[in-house]
Amino acid sequence: MHEYASAIALRYWLKKMGYPRLIIAGFLLFLFIMAPITGSDLSTQITNVINRFSWNAVLVLAMVPMIHSGCGLNFGIPLGVLAGLLGGTLAIEMGFTGSMSFLMAIVVSTPFAILFGGGYGALLNRIKGGEMMVATYVGLSSVSFMCIMWLLIPYKNPSIVMAYTGVGLRNMFALDSFYAGVLSKFLKIDLNPLGINLVIPTGSILFFALLAFLMWAFLHTKTGTAMTAVGSNPTFARASGINVDRIRVLSVILSTWLGAVGVLVYQQGFGFVQLYTAPQNMTMPAVAAVLLGGASVNKASISNVIIGTLLFQGLVTMTPTVITALIHTDVSEVIRIIVSNGMVVYALTRKTEGAK
Amino acid sequence: MKKNFNGFDFLQNNLVPLMFVIICAVCIPLSGLSPSYLLNEIVTRMGRNIFLILSLLIPIMAGMGLNFGMTLGAMAGQVALIFVTDWQIWGIPGVVLAMILSVPLSALLGLVCGRLMNMAKGREMIVGYMMNYTGTGFYQLLVLYLMGLIIPIKHASIRLPRGFGIRTTVNLANMRQCLDNEFAIFYKGVKIPVLNFIIIALMCLIIVWFRRTKLGQDMRAVGQDMEVAQAAGINVDRTRIIAIIISTVFAGFGQIIYLQNIGNFPTYTAHSQIGMFCIAALLVGGASVEKASIGNVFLGVILFHTMFIVAPRAGVAITGDAMIGEYFRVFVSYGVITLALIMYEIKKRRARSQGGELLARAQREGGVQT
Amino acid sequence: MRGKMLLIRLAALAVCVAVAATMMVIGRGHTLYFDNKTIEDYQGQEYRAFERVVVTVKGEQVAKLGKRERGMATWIGQSFKMTLEITENKGDDPRIEEISIQLPYGVDGIVINLPAYLAGLPEDAWFSEFVPMVEEEPGEEDLPGEGDEFGLEDDMGLESDLGI
Repeated sequence: MHEYASAIALRYWLKKMGYPRLIIAGFLLFLFIMAPITGSDLSTQITNVINRFSWNAVLVLAMVPMIHSGCGLNFGIPLGVLAGLLGGTLAIEMGFTGSMSFLMAIVVSTPFAILFGGGYGALLNRIKGGEMMVATYVGLSSVSFMCIMWLLIPYKNPSIVMAYTGVGLRNMFALDSFYAGVLSKFLKIDLNPLGINLVIPTGSILFFALLAFLMWAFLHTKTGTAMTAVGSNPTFARASGINVDRIRVLSVILSTWLGAVGVLVYQQGFGFVQLYTAPQNMTMPAVAAVLLGGASVNKASISNVIIGTLLFQGLVTMTPTVITALIHTDVSEVIRIIVSNGMVVYALTRKTEGAK
Repeated sequence: MKKNFNGFDFLQNNLVPLMFVIICAVCIPLSGLSPSYLLNEIVTRMGRNIFLILSLLIPIMAGMGLNFGMTLGAMAGQVALIFVTDWQIWGIPGVVLAMILSVPLSALLGLVCGRLMNMAKGREMIVGYMMNYTGTGFYQLLVLYLMGLIIPIKHASIRLPRGFGIRTTVNLANMRQCLDNEFAIFYKGVKIPVLNFIIIALMCLIIVWFRRTKLGQDMRAVGQDMEVAQAAGINVDRTRIIAIIISTVFAGFGQIIYLQNIGNFPTYTAHSQIGMFCIAALLVGGASVEKASIGNVFLGVILFHTMFIVAPRAGVAITGDAMIGEYFRVFVSYGVITLALIMYEIKKRRARSQGGELLARAQREGGVQT
Repeated sequence: MRGKMLLIRLAALAVCVAVAATMMVIGRGHTLYFDNKTIEDYQGQEYRAFERVVVTVKGEQVAKLGKRERGMATWIGQSFKMTLEITENKGDDPRIEEISIQLPYGVDGIVINLPAYLAGLPEDAWFSEFVPMVEEEPGEEDLPGEGDEFGLEDDMGLESDLGI
């Protein structure tokens, strides 16, 4: 009888965790165990994972507000990324360098994020129930629209415009004299002198922690709880006097702004700015990460973001080295495609309680 | 008064095609392309694309929206083509064999996709959209690793130098345009691929016939209202799965027809855009997410591809930069789809709230009476 | 009723398989190479190359061969037919020969030595398999997923070589 009960408990737990999450967590564990056996240095691996985490976590955090308000997964995150790119490039264009350029990038991108997010939110309010598909295509079409704009906006700064013609921005440019590493170099812990190849970008992690804390605090304010209410039961929320549309727009603006900041954080870690079609490649990793962390289409928490980003980035950074060492073939891309997109399909096909 | 209203309605319903007519009318003279070149291009593109787009019609009929998962069928078609190339089956027999070979795989993929869509009713499109990315992962696994390792590939010429996996381009020189050239008619510099058009005509007839069959009627009923259909004794889930399977299988055929015209294909990317372009073309033809006809397909192909041919050159003429025209046509494709999706969702929502009002009024009136 | 349905389905399946099998037979493509080359010594005898051979396949002239030359044609199916216009020695009137050869299914490239074939020698004298050299391309091919790119591959459709 007791065994039976524990079996039920186990099954409940399994169900709560979700099989894909368990499989991937198990796979990651396997990778960590295999890493020393295949001869790759474990501390290097951990450094890579933490590094990647610090680049991406803010982008993943950007998923949270929209999920909370019931707008679903933010496939329109490229809109936020574009706001961030505008902020970054304009800050550089204005002649800022170093840490100042990062600060100004955030400042400049904020009005864009509010503008884009506001419009996008107002649009999503008119199409409740069909947000995700429209969001995807809003993202795609805005990215392709901005492709034209990157060529047409008269940027002048020689370090970011195309080398020969001087017209239009480059596909990719380095941030060395601008905001590369401004966060990750702050309070950096480097154990290399001790003979351990472990580097922790403390500044980036602290920055994420700050944003995550603010998000957590916000979700516990009156507006924040209202947002959760709107997401879990819009009818009830309306009945209790909450302006549902306004809250939803607010969540979209927040999400878009976090997307803008997220891409700037990503760039300061990566050290390069990628323009043109690059922003749309930001969507799936962020969506997949938050789902991997245990979020669903209408429920997400800060811990989902942290766990998910660690799992996803762990997978992305570990598989190339470890699996390649094991079977002498690089299958990491295939694994990443299947995991990230499969995860979204899995989440979409779950029954969601409370929504609509 | 009533006529006026209709005129406005017409404008609203045909906004996208009219917009495209205007874009084309502006861009054609700017591009400086000769009419015979343009006509030849359009006829060729009609021959190779219409079949693919026709495959989208049946899921729309079943109320499942635009089948973004048609890409899965395209992948199945490509897998079949790789085998046929390896076995050195050439010409029309090669095309026919590839079509037959693609059926089991595309039917299986359609089945999976259909079942997943049934698990996410109301979110079919995004599931389909995500399915083609997931499918791409499995396609890569199959083509890049398993082919040559587990699945025998005879010819080293299509294998990667490392011994397994398929090269980045598959050459279909031996079946290049074999359908297009059969019975082709040349008229004033325009090549008309008669056999392609015969196949397309047959497909259209099949669709028209299918609409009248029991299954077709069921599909329309399901498309109108799933609950009513269920109450009427229609197996809704099964009908929906069949719609997706048919669409996926036809998309596989379409991709084979499409690629035999091109004559080679990039192994890992040939399918990735096909869904987007077909859907955009269909929408440009005046279709919506819930309603599409064969006429929309033809009009859409002509308008969309005219835009596609002339946009880069017109872009050069206007701005002096070829890339702007390229980006512009991509933007227009995405924009059209976005617009169609938004209009569909707004309409759906309006219908829902109207339904709610009607219900509320009925309840109110009922309340007065009792 | 159920049984009948099953029967129809099985029949449809059988038709598909049959069509596929037929296509595999009639659609098998071969590349043929014609050598107009002297065979020095086949069982002690010499078979001299012709002065000139014109090869016509399906009404289309595919090769005009002088001595020691090689021509090429493609053929779909196994029963290969061609018309040869042979000028044996300089100044002779050309004679025309219709030739049909049953090709082996499993061979992609087939080399036919014309003097030996026309002299009616057994197969091993005129038939050989053409083994193409696989060109090892220098440098890596650009495979998906090699390298450390963030996110999924580009799917904007800007590759104009898609031909859409």
